[in-house]
Amino acid sequence: MRRGARLRRAGRAIAAWIVVLGLMLPFLWMVLGSFKTARDFLSYPPVWVFVPTLDNYAQVFADNAFARYVLNSTIVAAGSTGIGLLLGIPAAYAMARWRRTAVGIVLLAARMAPGIAFLIPLFIACLELHLVGGYTSLIASHLIFTLPLAVWMMVGFIEAVPVELEQAALIDGCSVPGALLRVTVPLTRQGIAATAILAFIASWNNFLFALVLSNDNTKTLPVAVLGYIGYNSIQWGALMAAASVITLPVLALALCVQRFIVRGLVSGAVTG
Amino acid sequence: MVALATRRADAAAVPRRRKWRRDWTPDLLLAPALIAVAAVMGFPLVYLVYMSLHKWALIGYAAPEFVGVANFTALLDDDRFTGSLWRTLYFTALGLVTNLPAGLGIALLLNREFFGRSVLRALLIFPMVATPVAMGLVWVVMLDPSLGIVRYLFGLVGIANPPLWLSDTDWVVPTLVAVDGWMWTPMVALICSAGLASLPTEPFEAAIVDGASAWQRFRYLTLPLLMPILLVAAMLRLMDLLKVIDIVYVMTGGGPAHASETINLYNYLVALSYGKIGYGAAVALVLFALVLAATLGLVRLRSAS
Repeated sequence: MRRGARLRRAGRAIAAWIVVLGLMLPFLWMVLGSFKTARDFLSYPPVWVFVPTLDNYAQVFADNAFARYVLNSTIVAAGSTGIGLLLGIPAAYAMARWRRTAVGIVLLAARMAPGIAFLIPLFIACLELHLVGGYTSLIASHLIFTLPLAVWMMVGFIEAVPVELEQAALIDGCSVPGALLRVTVPLTRQGIAATAILAFIASWNNFLFALVLSNDNTKTLPVAVLGYIGYNSIQWGALMAAASVITLPVLALALCVQRFIVRGLVSGAVTG
Repeated sequence: MVALATRRADAAAVPRRRKWRRDWTPDLLLAPALIAVAAVMGFPLVYLVYMSLHKWALIGYAAPEFVGVANFTALLDDDRFTGSLWRTLYFTALGLVTNLPAGLGIALLLNREFFGRSVLRALLIFPMVATPVAMGLVWVVMLDPSLGIVRYLFGLVGIANPPLWLSDTDWVVPTLVAVDGWMWTPMVALICSAGLASLPTEPFEAAIVDGASAWQRFRYLTLPLLMPILLVAAMLRLMDLLKVIDIVYVMTGGGPAHASETINLYNYLVALSYGKIGYGAAVALVLFALVLAATLGLVRLRSAS
């Protein structure tokens, strides 16, 4: 009986390892592929052991435009994250301390609305205002998900701060914005960092808005990576190298905020 | 009479005084965010409704023309629209019935402490945070019908001629559901995992004392206790499955022969590739209504159970 139970536990652990490592196969295949020569890539059965080459990365970065796309993605993600937090933190503070829950319902609607419902009118408006292809329109459109994400995440973090600390600051003659800035923000800086990382990832990964609102100069990485798939020629190795360059920083960032990932996704990281 | 008058004066004074002392602080804190929300979300949705009532072409110089609900009635006769609608529902149903049990299964595997559990939990976040477009393209490479590793792995277990996956009109939707499931089942697993960790231990101890089998404990304790959490996971998956577009756009573009064209992709093509703005706006509103109705339906199911 005891041995049976122990065996069952071991079996369960082994099954968990197999399942989760199996789910990592695409990442392994992506990274392996990024070091393969064209010949290794096209051999069947697929090769696991081969002489690695850096040619694919060299090809990706020799292309001046790719560095540009990395910069574009960074600018748009940093901009929409920064503005999202700047607007979101005071709003979250009001919601946490004065129970303004009506705002929450509005933001929930944003989680449900398909991205295209915002995108069609925004595209027409940006055409009229000559904003298509600029960073402004991209950053503004990404606020559609970074702002709700910032508000939802921060409400939770602010509610965890004892209200007495703020009251003490108010009694000492601090204004409400002063108390927010000097007491609440420093106390929630971990939460702010986690929120910032999640918003950054959401913006970095966004495809549809960038596809429509960017031009050749402001293209972000998810749009740019499509360039490696032509109608009749796929540059396999370069595609895998580009995919690795796009994805691996996100995975590293995500590990830092592991505990908050699911909460972030629940509060609106994805808009199709 | 005098007393009454005073009382009336008091009654009038109270709300006035309250109005005078109304604390505007929260409103001022909320204002910047609300202005931004109105600009990037409120205005577009109102504009979208306006567009949906017009014949509005992106290409050419014809001014938008008011047509009432003609765009909506035209949807009923649009085979590509109805096709994409049913396909989306099929996609969603297939995704829900596979992701939820699989996610719960993974959560149960991770429920007890064992060597490396926290490592596996950390690895599980990778599929859902990795850039979907990049991973979709990696999957295209892996699913290649002649050279792909997926074909090779199927060969290893004795299936020498697996389907052509993305090139087969019958298999393309299940294949896309599988790729989408690869991305999001780990999220279901982590949600369920958190739920399992929060379950009370007493009923389980009592059940063991009473001699309940592992299956009975799962069926009559774990599952009902976990139901609220499962419904949250189902709601999140439901919203995103109905809206699926990114991976479809990059992996198949809706093909072969529209066999994977979901409603969101069709919406994008109609509005922004073909330039039928008014018609596309109508599709977008229908999709929004669909997501809203499905989610509210599930919420009601939740409050009923």
